[in-house]
Amino acid sequence: MVATVEARAARAAVATPRPLRRTGIAWVFVAPFVVVFAVFWAGPLLVGLGMSFTDMRSTDVRNPLGVDLVGLRNYLRLFDDELMRKAAFNTLVFVVTTLPLTLGLGLAAAVALNSGIARLPAAFFRLGYYLPYITSIIGIAVAWRFLLDPEAGPVNQLLAAVGVDGPSWLADETLALPVIIVMTAWRSFGFDMVIFLAALQGIPKELYEAAEVDGAGRWERFRWVTLPMLRPALLFCTVYSSIGFTQFMEEPLVMTKGGPAGATTSASLAIYNQFGSGNFGYAGAAATVLFTVIAALAFLQFRLARPR
Amino acid sequence: MTRRMWTYAGLAAGLVLVAFPFGWTLLASFKPESEIRRDPPTFLPDQWTFANYAGLFERTQMDQAFFNSTVVALAAVAGNLLFCSMVGYAFAKLPFRGRNVLFGLVLVQLMVPAIVVMIPQFVLIASFGLVNTFLGIILPTIVTPLGIFLMRQFIADIPDELVHAARVDGAREFRIFFQIVLPLCKPALATLGLITFFTSWNGFIWPAVVAQSEDMYTLPVALAIFSNAQATQYGLLIAGAVVVVLPILVIFLFLQRYFVQGTTFTGLK
Amino acid sequence: MKRFVIGVAAVGLLATACGRSAGGPAEEAKDVDVNKAAGEVTVWAMGAEGEALGAFAKEFEAANPGVTVKVTPLGWDVAHDKITAAIAGNATPDVSMLGSTWMGEMAKTGALEPTPGNLIDESVFFPGAWGTGEVAGTAYGVPWYVETRAFYYRTDLAEKAGVKPPATWEETTAFVKALKDKAGADLGVEQNFKQGSWQEVVPLVWQAGGDISAAGKWTFDTPEMVTALTHYASFFEDGLAATDQPTGAFPQTFVKGKVGAFYSGPWMIAGMEKEGGADFAGKFSVAPYPKGSAGGTSVIGGSNMVVFKSAKNREAAWKFLQWLTDPKVQASWFGKVAALPSVQAAWQEPALTADQRVGVFGDQLKDARSAPAVPTWEQVAKVMETEIEKLALGKQSAADTAKAMQAQAETIGTGA
Repeated sequence: MVATVEARAARAAVATPRPLRRTGIAWVFVAPFVVVFAVFWAGPLLVGLGMSFTDMRSTDVRNPLGVDLVGLRNYLRLFDDELMRKAAFNTLVFVVTTLPLTLGLGLAAAVALNSGIARLPAAFFRLGYYLPYITSIIGIAVAWRFLLDPEAGPVNQLLAAVGVDGPSWLADETLALPVIIVMTAWRSFGFDMVIFLAALQGIPKELYEAAEVDGAGRWERFRWVTLPMLRPALLFCTVYSSIGFTQFMEEPLVMTKGGPAGATTSASLAIYNQFGSGNFGYAGAAATVLFTVIAALAFLQFRLARPR
Repeated sequence: MTRRMWTYAGLAAGLVLVAFPFGWTLLASFKPESEIRRDPPTFLPDQWTFANYAGLFERTQMDQAFFNSTVVALAAVAGNLLFCSMVGYAFAKLPFRGRNVLFGLVLVQLMVPAIVVMIPQFVLIASFGLVNTFLGIILPTIVTPLGIFLMRQFIADIPDELVHAARVDGAREFRIFFQIVLPLCKPALATLGLITFFTSWNGFIWPAVVAQSEDMYTLPVALAIFSNAQATQYGLLIAGAVVVVLPILVIFLFLQRYFVQGTTFTGLK
Repeated sequence: MKRFVIGVAAVGLLATACGRSAGGPAEEAKDVDVNKAAGEVTVWAMGAEGEALGAFAKEFEAANPGVTVKVTPLGWDVAHDKITAAIAGNATPDVSMLGSTWMGEMAKTGALEPTPGNLIDESVFFPGAWGTGEVAGTAYGVPWYVETRAFYYRTDLAEKAGVKPPATWEETTAFVKALKDKAGADLGVEQNFKQGSWQEVVPLVWQAGGDISAAGKWTFDTPEMVTALTHYASFFEDGLAATDQPTGAFPQTFVKGKVGAFYSGPWMIAGMEKEGGADFAGKFSVAPYPKGSAGGTSVIGGSNMVVFKSAKNREAAWKFLQWLTDPKVQASWFGKVAALPSVQAAWQEPALTADQRVGVFGDQLKDARSAPAVPTWEQVAKVMETEIEKLALGKQSAADTAKAMQAQAETIGTGA
């Protein structure tokens, strides 16, 4: 995608009479970001990186330079930390399962909504499906905790009605993470759906007509027209969601606090907890590692998606 | 025809699954505290009550918090709509030196766990004298990486010829941007506006840290006062969740028609 | 490249500026002249206390014309982050409530003002409570209210099973077993093994004659610790305490009679009456901690009120704290939010003597100690909780749990 944009931009640059003035005006356009980044993000990011090489704690906030340099000790400690290793593993499992689940649900919903159903029901379904994404996590947590209550929860009541003894969903080490995964997919697919819908509506009807003339069936049209045309939207959703999912934290924080026995502790949640208990240097190191992984992942995705 | 019926059936079944937790929460907000946790549970309230809502408004400065949340969210929306589309336009249509480095920084901001920068950011806000002000709550997210990302992607799909034609006619970049590009971006702007609104509306930790007096609290911050570890009051919490979600629902209903406008955009291709 | 070099040079310069300086002499408290008290005092307070304090402080305002108190309530979830950030940005209020276990950490930042001896008298407080605010020999703020833990049980179930509340560890096991086998309390005793579970274990260590820290070092890997952990874990092993209940199932499980007993603080008296309705009040009672081989010491917690060094209104701030710790005011505050007085004399007031169950906590407070007031306590407590959870779930032995706690606590240190 980056490549096509660049190619397009390069063509534009050749075609325009005053290429030099473009840089000047461009910087005016990007000024809002440059200013906000320089003022509010650049410094704090460097502080975050810097403190990962020190033994800084919450007690040093008044005198942040009065700390000892410890080199890579925080980073080395990460690898010995059982909970951190578990958090990394949980995050991997979470991303690898939630990402395709969310994309698949989002795509299915978008295609169904775009398959020529009437406007009013379409709007109604769209609203319903998008609702979880825009709802405050506080509300979601309250609702889901009650749904999954082992005794009084509707889920287990329903299971009991068909003779199944429902488990204690969030207190079970093997079930807690899958529950969080399903809940996150439920919460997130509406976002992908909206992006896909916009992209689907942008596909010219003539393409489908041409394919139909060539004798392409329903599946072939989807495979050879829809999917290729959705490529930018798919890339966007994949990159954006994997960045978001790799940082997942809210769901386990409100549902399980990372338990039972760390079964739902994510990398971000572990970092959050380390900050919360004042261990700034160590938390900074963990955050730096997480950031590096996310950046590498995004880079890889851009690379793989580059048109050959 | 049968295929269409199946589509409807599938969509409806999906909707039931998706909406069930909401319906259940909404109904629970009208139950008295004791009924909320009754086993076996009731679906419809045995005894309808507004006590949870009454308690909510009695216990906290709800109206003030509602107002604050609205101000903060609207300001964030206005800032993001304007600034993200400006920046996105530059990334998509204006080749310039340093573009890749700058886009790298956008991605960096997107990828950093927010908790890492919180305390240094607060120190900055404090040194500017912006603690306990709307500006302090809004400024760090007045232009967001997701918005830039979204707008860049969308504007890149606008045919270059449109922009070129205007340039050949001697139009200034700002005029091109405001009169040609922005009107074409309505669907994307609607999406971005909604996402920004709810992110800001639901934001918790940052506003909680910056707002230092109750009259500056946003809704989630005000609601958090009584959700503590020892005795969580479910009735209040559920009513609070409903109060937080409702405005978003209304706004989304209102923006529906812009979401459909993706079709007008197609006509240009 | 050039920019990179400059960047490296800047980081290098910064790095050379780093380094911890040796701790200076203990801080000196400065006297306060409360006669100068006037103007507005800004106060932060958490949870239910935060909600109620604003209205309560009107009495103070009435008694002190010219002084106003502005209370900002905060949620517990965000309070620690918010206060840390405020200290970092030098944007603190005049006064803040702090969880008693945060005292070590917050005092170490250097943002708190030592308690003026001319105004606050140490001897009126429970010694354990005063200890929460004493960091490296200097006292900060005042203990505002206290909490300690005791043994709650269902009186009706105990009667049905024909047992009396336990006085020793051994009796506890028999007691819970009887409730389960004879009175239908199939979940036995509720033992917390998640957030806050250190409070379940630390008293047991003391009751076994051990301690978790000594002479500035952590001492988790001791025979006493293993004894305490073994006793704690035995309830899970014997099926007398459950690990498969969801968050929030308790206290309803106690109301329903599935759980027959649990250890908790005084707020549960009011909490239970709310959970179970008015007629439930007569179905449960409170007993002091059952004794181990070395006694029945409980843990003391609660909250303290501190004044920040950057307070704009120092005199009025300390005057407000002095008022809050007046015995009569403490008793009347108990009436508002059921927060136990940290001042011993307040326990003679009728508000405190009316309910015998409250009195149990009053007696228990005389034999209660605080968690170590060191800056790293919150971190070490988290380590304990993680390891306790593994023990409770049967994933590691008591001895291994003690070793794991010691190893991690040593890495963290005491922050001294």
